[in-house]
Amino acid sequence: MTYYEKKPEKKFFEKTLEDYRDSIWGCARCNHCQNQWGWNIKSAEFSEICPAFHEYRIFPYSGMGKMHIARALLEGDFDYEDAPEVAKFLYTCTTCGACEMNCQRMQDKEPLQVNEVLRALFVQDGIGPMPEHKNLIKSVKNYDNPWMQPRTQRDRWARKLGIKDVSKEKAETLFFVGCTSALDNTQWHVAQNTARILLKGGVDLGMLGKDEICCGSPVARIGDRETFMDLAWRNIEMLNKSGVKEIVAFCPGCFRAITHDYKEIPKAEKLKAKVYHSSQYIDKLIQDGKLKINGELKMRVTWHDPCHLGRHLGIYDEPRRILNAIPGVELVEMERIKDQSWCCGGGGGVRTAFMDFAQKTATKRLQEAKKTGAQSIITACPFCEQNLGDAASKMDDGLEVKDLTDLLINVLDIE
Amino acid sequence: MNTMKQKVIQKKLPRDAYNALKSVVGEQWIYEQRSVVETYSKLSIEGFSYIKKHEKDPHVLPACVVLPASTEEIQTIVRICNRYHIPFIPFTNGQVFCNPTTPDPTLIIHLSRMNKIIHIDVENMNATLEAYVDYGQLQAEAMKRGLWNGGSPLATALCKLASQFAFAGLWQTDLKYGLLSRNIVSVKMVLPDGEILTTGSRCMPKAGDFWEYGPGPDLLGLQRSGIGTNGIVTEITVKLHSWVGDKAFPEIPAGRPSLADVHEPKYDNPPAPLKNHKLYWVEYKDFKSQIKAMREIAHAGIAIGLNATGVYSAYYCSQTQDMTVERCKNKFFPEWNTYIILANTSSDKQIEYEEKVLQQIIKENGGTFLSESYKPEVFEALKPWNYDCIRHSTGYRMNRKAYLNAWLPQGPLSNAVVTSREWKKAIQTFGELDITDLGGIDDTPFIYMLQRGHFCLFETDNYPDPTLPDEIKKAAAYGIYGAATFIKYDLGPQLMAFLNVEPFTTMFPEAGPNGHLFMRKIRKVFDPNSVASPGRQVFTEEEWQQFPKEFKGLFNQMRAMQGLGAVE
Repeated sequence: MTYYEKKPEKKFFEKTLEDYRDSIWGCARCNHCQNQWGWNIKSAEFSEICPAFHEYRIFPYSGMGKMHIARALLEGDFDYEDAPEVAKFLYTCTTCGACEMNCQRMQDKEPLQVNEVLRALFVQDGIGPMPEHKNLIKSVKNYDNPWMQPRTQRDRWARKLGIKDVSKEKAETLFFVGCTSALDNTQWHVAQNTARILLKGGVDLGMLGKDEICCGSPVARIGDRETFMDLAWRNIEMLNKSGVKEIVAFCPGCFRAITHDYKEIPKAEKLKAKVYHSSQYIDKLIQDGKLKINGELKMRVTWHDPCHLGRHLGIYDEPRRILNAIPGVELVEMERIKDQSWCCGGGGGVRTAFMDFAQKTATKRLQEAKKTGAQSIITACPFCEQNLGDAASKMDDGLEVKDLTDLLINVLDIE
Repeated sequence: MNTMKQKVIQKKLPRDAYNALKSVVGEQWIYEQRSVVETYSKLSIEGFSYIKKHEKDPHVLPACVVLPASTEEIQTIVRICNRYHIPFIPFTNGQVFCNPTTPDPTLIIHLSRMNKIIHIDVENMNATLEAYVDYGQLQAEAMKRGLWNGGSPLATALCKLASQFAFAGLWQTDLKYGLLSRNIVSVKMVLPDGEILTTGSRCMPKAGDFWEYGPGPDLLGLQRSGIGTNGIVTEITVKLHSWVGDKAFPEIPAGRPSLADVHEPKYDNPPAPLKNHKLYWVEYKDFKSQIKAMREIAHAGIAIGLNATGVYSAYYCSQTQDMTVERCKNKFFPEWNTYIILANTSSDKQIEYEEKVLQQIIKENGGTFLSESYKPEVFEALKPWNYDCIRHSTGYRMNRKAYLNAWLPQGPLSNAVVTSREWKKAIQTFGELDITDLGGIDDTPFIYMLQRGHFCLFETDNYPDPTLPDEIKKAAAYGIYGAATFIKYDLGPQLMAFLNVEPFTTMFPEAGPNGHLFMRKIRKVFDPNSVASPGRQVFTEEEWQQFPKEFKGLFNQMRAMQGLGAVE
């Protein structure tokens, strides 16, 4: 029985603090929400795991602190006397899930879920989210994406790539591009690389084009359940109607939303297609011999596990297999990897509301990467790439941030 | 939120005092928001704070939290506290005894910014640490240099060494390496009046750190297990020992968990972490032969760790609370078991010799080694100990439900028999709170063999539902009854670990920390304004008068059940 299946009585998006009463009263202050799992500590410098506690050093920023705040709010010990400060505690969480990982493993408790329920409560009571998030929500409501971009721009990245539009013709596999890769032209390369690689692998590839809408992940993470569920219902309906058998998502936020969060919506229809992350799918194409690697890249690289891909959903090995399959690429690991990976700092709405803190967290990750001697830090998440990339450009010490497909595209004989 | 419920309102520091503190640490590192102080207000293993939380007692809320960055800042903060008569409590993780018990506005001094390893001296084998450095960090850095600190506490590798010193903490490898208090080289402290004390080997300026103390009487012993009452440890120098293993623990072959499969047992089954590391599990026919074998192994001079876990392996080695309960019910783990750690020997011949001695002792005492051919499923389930016995991680799983008011008697091994017998009587008298309370009744209590077996710690526990005040009160009663029991049987000066902590100190004057009334006098000398960790190690007369009558009544009730007179 997996963790997500453990408490089937209620779906996550209908849960309230009351559903976590046992958990929040039982917080044992073991501090594993702030630190690496003991067996995995390799140095004092990189032994912490919660970016917010690491930066601010007081408990309310940690998973444990939020359990205590939740308990006090639940029991009415205090109300919203210092609401702006509490909102900061809640929203400086990148939702990386490190606290949840170690607390689940140690105490069978759920500090991240509690934080997300607190955020939902704050939104419901009109105290949250952070002011900077309000434009994001407005944009999602008005444009179906968080970037205030008109719907007509959504498929510009895909011009001349020969991807089917599933509203016009049938396709076996749908590429769910995600708002950032589709609408931020600095991220187009990832969407284009991914599509080219899938097509090279002989995939009967389609997309929703201008009809694609936000998966809902950004609004889910900041606690706007209503907007999230609306998007999810629309997505489920559209994806089921498209008739595709497989969905490939590149953005880990989309991937988590579609594979996990949609199942946590009360009375939601079941998604018919099987959902893959692009790294899973490409790894399978390589394993099945449908993608032939031809060429060499002389590079020493390190892999940054995106939190929603790795820690949340367990995709650790596939991207590493792809990197190891490229001749000349030497993969060297950082100290904090996989379930104990250090977040890039950009998730959970943090980059939107607390850019400085997001950049500090990214810088810490780059310092860790630098210690491996790698030339490049490779990842597979638009938010990680943006946030690490911005920090890298300020550090200016030669460490490059690249997407996994940036490497692969060079060794597949793709024009 | 439900605004109809009764709020719990914190007190505030006088503005002058607040501003003075702010000028020391800067605006960024001082907090008095209600939500912040809430997170510094609840204990994790002690029932009274839960009861106070349920009763909405405002005294568990501190007024303010400051985060100093140096010994000198702490010194200034402490002097300000003395000037304004503000009680202060030093704080690291906050797992135990961290709760303000004073009705006055109280300051928390959180040491989380003081988290650096200052120096590792490879040649002289010691490490100097700031107060917030934990065992996991120190071990990782020491291992890279072919050294380690000798172990980590059962309450996990995330315990800070400075805090452990304040509790005289112990490890599962204490059989060879001794308790933390035997591994201290020196400490730097800020005393309750703001004076800085450097003691241990460093009592002579520039003499450096070495494995012995300076000449003449030393104040180190007074600070050991002082729970912060006699000052705040800001720097600690500890011994390091040789390490023959790798620079880091090897990856577990099963890989790493994700949130989707975090409870899969395979992720908890690591391989042996170093060359010549052997962890043996032995099942015995009965308690008597188990105790006899443990004594013989300890006295034979082999092994670095020797402990009996009884039912408690069900916690450490089970990935969920449900699994724990099921394994307890089904008696999945042998009732009379011990584990023996043969490790950290650089010579193959040495480990061969130790194995031979061990096998002979086990044979003579009718024990059976668990193995891949004898109870393989149990042998497999116990694998978390492969890493835990070096760097403990799964130990705090005991706290999944709520682990409160344990019985923690210490003393010679023979006391284990009494612990077990009396725990059984207590359970029969009170009734268990949870199925897992039964550990130590018809199996071994938890036994740590320390210092070559000349000293042991025993443990039997309660697991109340933390949301139910009546259950917590019952657990608290158990804990007090346990203290009364060990006083009644006059089981030695160590008695229960908690007996050096108020309200036990005052309510059990027979056993307080070297005579609690004398400690009260010493506190007056060190702390003339009664501001340092009030109500933790020993009450002042005023604090004693403020101790709630209800709790006093409960103590006296438990004392009476064991035929001890009331304390008034």
